[in-house]
Amino acid sequence: MRPLLILRLGFERLLEIVVIFLMVSMVVVVVLGVVYRKAGASLVWYDEIASIMLAWLTYYGAALAALKRAHIGVPGVVDSAPPRLRLCLIILSEVFVIGFFILLAWVGYEVVLVLEGDYLISLPEISTQYTQSVIPIGAVLFVIAEALSLPEVLRKTRGTASADENPGEATGT
Amino acid sequence: MIILLMFVALVVLVLINVPIAVALGVTTVGAMLWSQGPDILPNLALVMFDGATKFPLIAIPLFILAGAIMNSSGISRRLIAFASALLGFIKGGLAMVNIGTSPFFAEISGSAVADVAALGSILIPAMKKKGYPTPFAAAVTSSSATLAIIIPPSIPMIIYAVMSDSSVVQLFVAGIVPGLLGGLLMMAVAYRFAVHYNYPVEEVFQLKRVWVTFKDAAWAFLLPVIILGGIFGGWVTATEGAGLAVVASLFIGGVIYRELDWRHLKQSIIEGGVQTAVVMLLVTASALIGVYLTEAQVPQDLARTISAMTDNRYVVLAMLNVFLLIVGLFLHSAAAIILVVPIVMPLVHQAGIDPVHFGIIVTLNLGIGQQTPPVASVLVTACSVAKADIWEVSKVNIYFIGVLVTMLMIVTYIPAVPMTLVDFFYR
Repeated sequence: MRPLLILRLGFERLLEIVVIFLMVSMVVVVVLGVVYRKAGASLVWYDEIASIMLAWLTYYGAALAALKRAHIGVPGVVDSAPPRLRLCLIILSEVFVIGFFILLAWVGYEVVLVLEGDYLISLPEISTQYTQSVIPIGAVLFVIAEALSLPEVLRKTRGTASADENPGEATGT
Repeated sequence: MIILLMFVALVVLVLINVPIAVALGVTTVGAMLWSQGPDILPNLALVMFDGATKFPLIAIPLFILAGAIMNSSGISRRLIAFASALLGFIKGGLAMVNIGTSPFFAEISGSAVADVAALGSILIPAMKKKGYPTPFAAAVTSSSATLAIIIPPSIPMIIYAVMSDSSVVQLFVAGIVPGLLGGLLMMAVAYRFAVHYNYPVEEVFQLKRVWVTFKDAAWAFLLPVIILGGIFGGWVTATEGAGLAVVASLFIGGVIYRELDWRHLKQSIIEGGVQTAVVMLLVTASALIGVYLTEAQVPQDLARTISAMTDNRYVVLAMLNVFLLIVGLFLHSAAAIILVVPIVMPLVHQAGIDPVHFGIIVTLNLGIGQQTPPVASVLVTACSVAKADIWEVSKVNIYFIGVLVTMLMIVTYIPAVPMTLVDFFYR
């Protein structure tokens, strides 16, 4: 159990660093954009780059959210099922989630290959292969996050029947 | 036929607790494979990327971040002190302070859960200590926080603006009057409680104390001036205003007040990033399924069917209200906006309802949804801060929900309440 825990914590730290980096640089880019525009020298790349950063934050952050089991769902039915059925439903739902992201990783990788020679409009030195890489990488990270957090979900299910925690609730706006 | 199958598959997947965003993805992939074969699959990766590159939505993590900084720098405490000097003399003073501080806090964070977590963790223990019953303390905190999403800036409004292609700035302006009116009505209800149960007065009114606490909190008041002034004045876009809010709150917390708690801030940045990603994954998944539903003309069909039944705008609004209230019971506000708004928009246009007016209606409906179990994000946060039972809190909260429903009716059927300012400034 121990090595798994260390792996999980290390993976969490890694994703946290990426998320902090993206959040902070998004602020910097947006503020630079305003400052330069008001100074009369608009940065042509600013909204394109900021939007790409948001896409990156979406997938790196989504993997972190998967690790924390924070994605919005409706756990009521599964939680109130008898233990054996609950276990089956959890595994079934896991199969769908992991299956979807394996597929996304695969088609995402194919798309990255196809994009060779394609560059950003506002920054022609950056390849869209690089920006689009977030889809296959993010999808693989999501699968790892699901796999690393699954043992705890299963342990909770096997343990007490008190599965009334609702992680989805904690992320409201 | 395929749409019906998609709907059934979606419901089944959601019920077995597949995250809603993934359930949308799986369903759409199934439909893609069924109708167009595997050659279409690369589109999945392209749409999932493009769907996430929405510049206006950058405002979400930025406002969350600004709220987090504000919360880790003693700004909340100063706002509460000022509100207490201003409103503490009324019977049930702390409840008034709670309701009165919410709009100020909302001016910066734009998020009701953030509002509850920040103000509730200070005010609920204070209220308990003064002898207020715990359920009342939790209910006041929870409901007044929902005002946060009606008063600008508001994250649900930003999401609505993107999903409905309407102006964020006009939505923000439209929220001002209903938000303030709602706050006053809530104070009236809290006052009734205070008189009936003899809740204590907080402090005597002293002009001097109001001035001293105002001076201390003045920098915090500068924040909404910078953010909203910049956005409403057309000087910056909503997203850029959010960026400035981050810089301004960093400056005020770090340089002026010198109270920035870096550890807490780091944790808040991570949480903000995760919250954003959760919402954004839903946005991208809805872009995916949106391609399908639009091709199949589902929203247009819905609009045609309902317009065939009635062309009375008020009846359509009543139907939409009932529908949104039901959706709000079971879905998270962000998820509800992302899923429902693209489908009902053609109907809204056809019935001649102003999209900005409808945006306020949607936001209020889902605000009520945040207070009504089974899925009630804000109420649950308030209860966990107060360590109170959801059912006990709801018995008190029903009166405050009543205020929100009254506001919903006023906003729906007296469009002048939200729209006068918009018409005055922008049309």
